Amino acid sequence: MAFDPLLLRPLFPILAQSAYDHPLTYLDNAATTQKPLPVLDAIQDYYRSFNANVHRGAHFLSDRATNRFEQARDTVANFINAPEQSHVIWTKGATEAINTVAFGLEHLLEKGDEILITSLEHHANLVPWQQLAFRTGARLRVLPLTSNGEWEPEFNRYFTDRTRIFAATQISNAIGVSTPLQTMLDHAKQQGAFTLVDGAQAVAHYPIDVQALDCDFYVFSGHKMYGPTGIGVLYGKNHALEVLLPYQTGGEMVRHVSYQATEFNVLPYRLEAGTPHIEGVIGLAAACDFLNSQDRLALLAWEQSLATHVYTRLHKEGGIEIYSPEKNTTLVSLSVPNIHILDLNAYLDSQGVAVRAGSHCAHPLMAQLGVAGTLRASFACYNTMEEANRFCDVLLEAIDLLNDE
Amino acid sequence: MTDSLGQQKPVNIKALLQACRNKEETFKTLVALSKTLPRLSVEEKTEENKIKGCESAVWLIMEENNGTRHFKADSDAKLMRGVLVAILSLVEGKTQTDIQQMDLKAELAELNLSSYLTSSRTNGVLAILDKINKA
Ligand SMILES: Cc1ncc(COP(=O)(O)O)c(C=O)c1O
Repeated sequence: MAFDPLLLRPLFPILAQSAYDHPLTYLDNAATTQKPLPVLDAIQDYYRSFNANVHRGAHFLSDRATNRFEQARDTVANFINAPEQSHVIWTKGATEAINTVAFGLEHLLEKGDEILITSLEHHANLVPWQQLAFRTGARLRVLPLTSNGEWEPEFNRYFTDRTRIFAATQISNAIGVSTPLQTMLDHAKQQGAFTLVDGAQAVAHYPIDVQALDCDFYVFSGHKMYGPTGIGVLYGKNHALEVLLPYQTGGEMVRHVSYQATEFNVLPYRLEAGTPHIEGVIGLAAACDFLNSQDRLALLAWEQSLATHVYTRLHKEGGIEIYSPEKNTTLVSLSVPNIHILDLNAYLDSQGVAVRAGSHCAHPLMAQLGVAGTLRASFACYNTMEEANRFCDVLLEAIDLLNDE
Repeated sequence: MTDSLGQQKPVNIKALLQACRNKEETFKTLVALSKTLPRLSVEEKTEENKIKGCESAVWLIMEENNGTRHFKADSDAKLMRGVLVAILSLVEGKTQTDIQQMDLKAELAELNLSSYLTSSRTNGVLAILDKINKA
């Protein structure tokens, strides 16, 4: 039986509103998704019934909070099939997770070492590596991927015996294409490099198995997978996490402190300085439960069918440049020659259609595509076919209104 | 409305914008207004004239003539050209002191343009106002 997004809508009350007298059509899900009631309820419940600092006090509430907090780690570990819950480190998002690795590995890098990324990266998986290269004298190299997410076989020369770190996104946030991750990871591993996968755009859509991927690090943000903002995950293999020097120090991450020295705590606490984002952790676990309670492949197929429908309709119209693939993606990224994307965005907004116009934190990729930015409609499980069509209709109206000739 | 701006036969830009009842009407009015803005030449679109902090490219040129100020501006985005028409209609031909005494943000808000001041496009428009004030 076909998946029906209308069954999910009641879980997302925010969607049932109008924007400037039009039904709100939220298609900016790659930026952040809306949160279902179970996530909102879990956060409320935390403050209403078990708010206390974790791992510290020995009292009724603190025990409850700590238990639920560590249960959440279990939930997230299962969600990505991590072998141990201690391999799940809480961060404030994908960005902080990548920075934790970039700073944590600094002590292992030498002048002339190479850090390899791909040409489809979000700035979050580019700038921390570039700055690490500046600090250490390592060289940042960029594996060129086509906008179809393909690479030329001769590109394996980018993986050298100097490659110490390889960091790649699983899915491009700007154009929605999947990268040839497994092949790239295999090449990187052959060279003995540390591997990091940016899963920020993948977790909401694809079941994730970090053991099958066999990467050293996997990072993502809660807010892009129906969870709260301000919470994210750094997963790492045990040995990979063990070699990271803590990027932040302070309370919680220590075992014993004197004025002369500090003995750090064990994983995962060693990499979690300070009071954590407890409500975020609780909310993220609820988001995992929400996704686990769904037929995830059915959600994915639905989201992809929306993107493919939009692609097909707009492709037929002609005169629209589409940068995302026709199939196997959950977003459509486009531009219209001679019309500014901000003008298109403004008209869509005036009709209650929320999309994103800009460079999507990927300036080098925009340069590769030869555009300043694109207009991106990105889908989530609660989006309907009517909304996909509404996006197309309003976009075509906007083009009509803005075309000079 | 095809006359060049603010000259002999001023279009009542304020009235046009204030009559807009919703975002869509404001959008359409701005698109119409954008057509009244004379485009800058390639030579005028210098880095120096470009305003930093705008999501769309915006160029602004100010000339002083007998103590009054005259502006030319352009953008690669149409709506921004409409907004520029509105902004320039407030300051065109005024003296520096006049302009500095104006609360441009409040005046734009009165023209139903506050959403252009509150979103990420904000910095853009604020940067334009800033440049006009500091010029
Ligand atoms: C592919 C990708 N990586 C990293 C990030 C950064 O995520 P956050 O801002 O939540 O840290 C994003 C968010 O836009 C993204 O799309």
